[in-house]
Amino acid sequence: MSLKWRIAIIFGLIAASFWTLFPRTVVERVKRNGEFVYDTVRRVPLKRGLDLQGGMHLALEVDESKGPVADKSKAIDNALKVVRNRIDEFGVSEPVVQKAGNDRIIVELPGIDDPRRAQDVVQKSAFLEFQITDKTQALEKALPRLDALLKGKTVAAAVATPGVKKDTTASSAGLQSLFTADTSKKADSAKTDSAKAAAGTIGGPGAFSKLVQQGRGMPGEYYVAQTDVATVTQYLALPEVAAAMPPGKVLRWSSDTVSLGGRVYRGLYVLDAKPIITGEFLTDAKPNTSPTEGNLVQFTMNNEGARRFRTETGRHIKDYMAIVLDQRVMGQPPVIQSAIGANGQITMGGKDLQAAQDLALVLRAGSLPVPLKVADVRVIGASLGQDSIHKSIVAGSIAIALVVVIMLGYYRFSGALAVAALVLYILYTLAALAGFQAVLTLPGLAGFVLSIGIAVDANVLIFERIREELAHGKTVRTAIDEGFRHAMSAIVDSNVSTALTAAVLYQYGTGPVRGFAVTLLAGIAASMITSIFVVRTFYMIWLNRSRDAQTSLSI
Amino acid sequence: MLRILHDTNYDFIRWWKVMAAITVAFIVLGLGSLAIKPLNLSIEFTGGTLMQLEFTQPPDVGVIRSTLDQAAIHGAEIQQFGTNREFTVRAQNPAQVAAQSKGAEGISVTIERVLKQKFGENNLRVVRTEAVGPRVGDELKRGAIIAILLSFLITLVYLSIRFEWRFATAAVIATSHDVFTTIAFLKLMHLEISLTVVAGLLTVLGYSLNDTIIIFDRVRENLRKGRKETLYETLNRSINETLPRSVLTHATVLAATLSLLFFAGEVIRPFAWVMAFGIITGTFSSIYVAAPVLLWIERKWPRQTGARQTSSTATPTSRTRRSTATATR
Repeated sequence: MSLKWRIAIIFGLIAASFWTLFPRTVVERVKRNGEFVYDTVRRVPLKRGLDLQGGMHLALEVDESKGPVADKSKAIDNALKVVRNRIDEFGVSEPVVQKAGNDRIIVELPGIDDPRRAQDVVQKSAFLEFQITDKTQALEKALPRLDALLKGKTVAAAVATPGVKKDTTASSAGLQSLFTADTSKKADSAKTDSAKAAAGTIGGPGAFSKLVQQGRGMPGEYYVAQTDVATVTQYLALPEVAAAMPPGKVLRWSSDTVSLGGRVYRGLYVLDAKPIITGEFLTDAKPNTSPTEGNLVQFTMNNEGARRFRTETGRHIKDYMAIVLDQRVMGQPPVIQSAIGANGQITMGGKDLQAAQDLALVLRAGSLPVPLKVADVRVIGASLGQDSIHKSIVAGSIAIALVVVIMLGYYRFSGALAVAALVLYILYTLAALAGFQAVLTLPGLAGFVLSIGIAVDANVLIFERIREELAHGKTVRTAIDEGFRHAMSAIVDSNVSTALTAAVLYQYGTGPVRGFAVTLLAGIAASMITSIFVVRTFYMIWLNRSRDAQTSLSI
Repeated sequence: MLRILHDTNYDFIRWWKVMAAITVAFIVLGLGSLAIKPLNLSIEFTGGTLMQLEFTQPPDVGVIRSTLDQAAIHGAEIQQFGTNREFTVRAQNPAQVAAQSKGAEGISVTIERVLKQKFGENNLRVVRTEAVGPRVGDELKRGAIIAILLSFLITLVYLSIRFEWRFATAAVIATSHDVFTTIAFLKLMHLEISLTVVAGLLTVLGYSLNDTIIIFDRVRENLRKGRKETLYETLNRSINETLPRSVLTHATVLAATLSLLFFAGEVIRPFAWVMAFGIITGTFSSIYVAAPVLLWIERKWPRQTGARQTSSTATPTSRTRRSTATATR
């Protein structure tokens, strides 16, 4: 290859590198005043991994704690679509949502500053159901059965909730009579009624019934003191209790609590098991704020959904309809005044507007077909990433300075050629990383710093060979030729074996380690080009400058 | 021309028994101490939670510990990380790991909540959280072991093609030696073995292999020249001839490694330690493991052809022969 061509190739590579690395204008989502907007920014097109720019990495898998899932791979495929929709709407710049292996979803959210909220958005099942509250007093009828069942377990319960025991002894009224009394007082204001109930009427003979009391007059509504919620949940989870529950009904907790007479209660609702309609017909959901009801989410159904909703609600006029999200009753079930069509709303209780926004988002994106749990999570603060980059640059600069001193000190002029090649090495490696859109990680940066030390190895091998040839009395020109030729096999073999190791790392590594492997591979390629091709060309230029006049070589 | 160790004629291999004793002692010491305390595996492999916390005021470590104990997070390891306002909390005992199978984030949420209650919402910032469920940990562990074994296999095949099986086997045995010494080193230094450290280990293996290949490349070349000398002598000659290169390359790599060790920060430090040790063990194994093993293989399975035959058959008596050779030189 003629010298002209060699020089042309080197300059071509330099030009290409500058072109790849030149800061360019890209459209990306950036955060402005707390909102993500599309904007154009100018930056060097080097991708930083989560550990360098901060952000969140989540691995999710199917949660089988609530029952086995038959085809996990398919379930994950379906869940993936939903999660992707949600993340797209959540507003993060360059998110990654992908399937890993057969049964896992990887979510990467760069620059996230509220990881818990992000996780909620990803994990929320968002399964919406509309269910009519029970009018048949099914729970009251089942209470004696339940109490009998739990008789043997009463002791444990009493130990578990010592606070309750005191209340129980203070009251004497029977539960059944209490209920009748309550329903007869329907006309009374709900507040005073419940307050009275809270003040003196908890209790009863049975283990279960003493924990549960009548609500505010709505059929199917009950209150459980917040302190007893855990106990009742335990009871309900018992298989024999589940079997004794009234058929065709389900019990659902309320999403928020009420404070009555100084005590905090959580609503427990008995609902018809079959929902009149589910969220699958939802086409849109928007957050809103109403002066009377606070924050809420307004939703719209498609035609089919609206038709069913109208028919079903028309059949249940004067009944109460619970809006159940992920098995929690949202707000107070409203009474159905007349048939409801395509539009409806979910009140958020005391939650803030952001909660309403997030709920609207997950409702729009659709419900998760299976519950997901977090298999692994990493959250890195943005400042930590900045710090890592800064430190890596310091370490890299010092490494370069030391290597330059060693090479110049030992090989003089030839060392200077190697240093020039090292500059090109750094340029080419970075360009390769940018060009292949490789992700730069902290171990990757460390690998890059290390590779600066290793990159000159090929030069050292060549220079030592040239020295040997010169020692054998060869002319400068022949010594250089022979030196390159003899060093070649060692350079190729050692670099290829390192590249193979890097390939294995890439295959089996995760996130940061993958970044390391990519940097290593780019470095090996660049080092081969610079030490063999570029330095050789430098020598050729030097030899050409004064024809055969070069009788000695500074090496 | 500045020259280091030029035209030397040291008899390196002569000391192989002493060196073997030293390295075996080191490995036995390191791996033996595993019986007392297991390897310090990171949460990536065991499962668990790691949090890096930044306080506005230097906190009392005892208070952090008692706060965590009250929240039933027992046996968490609390370590200063850089400045006296930054700490890492590692919760990785089996009970906590098992709790994370329900959702990896659970423990970290608890830690953040109780510490913020204790120290005040604004006096403490979570800089980094890593929480790994038990299943992921097992997978990563398996992945790391497969990666190391697979890189051995691939190397063996490649070197068998480029050299021949005797060289390949000697090189792989030398590299395996480095795995053991590096693990012993990690154990004795009580360094945490993370994925990054495993990547460092694989880099060390690649580096050590490089070194062996450079020497073997010389051996290959010298054998082709068909000198009348034993393999023992050829090996010594090759090691001496490549000595200046070894010194120079180790110097530049050491320079890069030391700048990582001192300037690149806490996260990279274990990686830099492994690399620093790797330079030593890699150089050592290329000379004192690869060469003697090659000699041993040559004696057991001698080559068939011409000039090489003399080298192989001569090996059993090589030590006496060599001494006469050096004497005459």
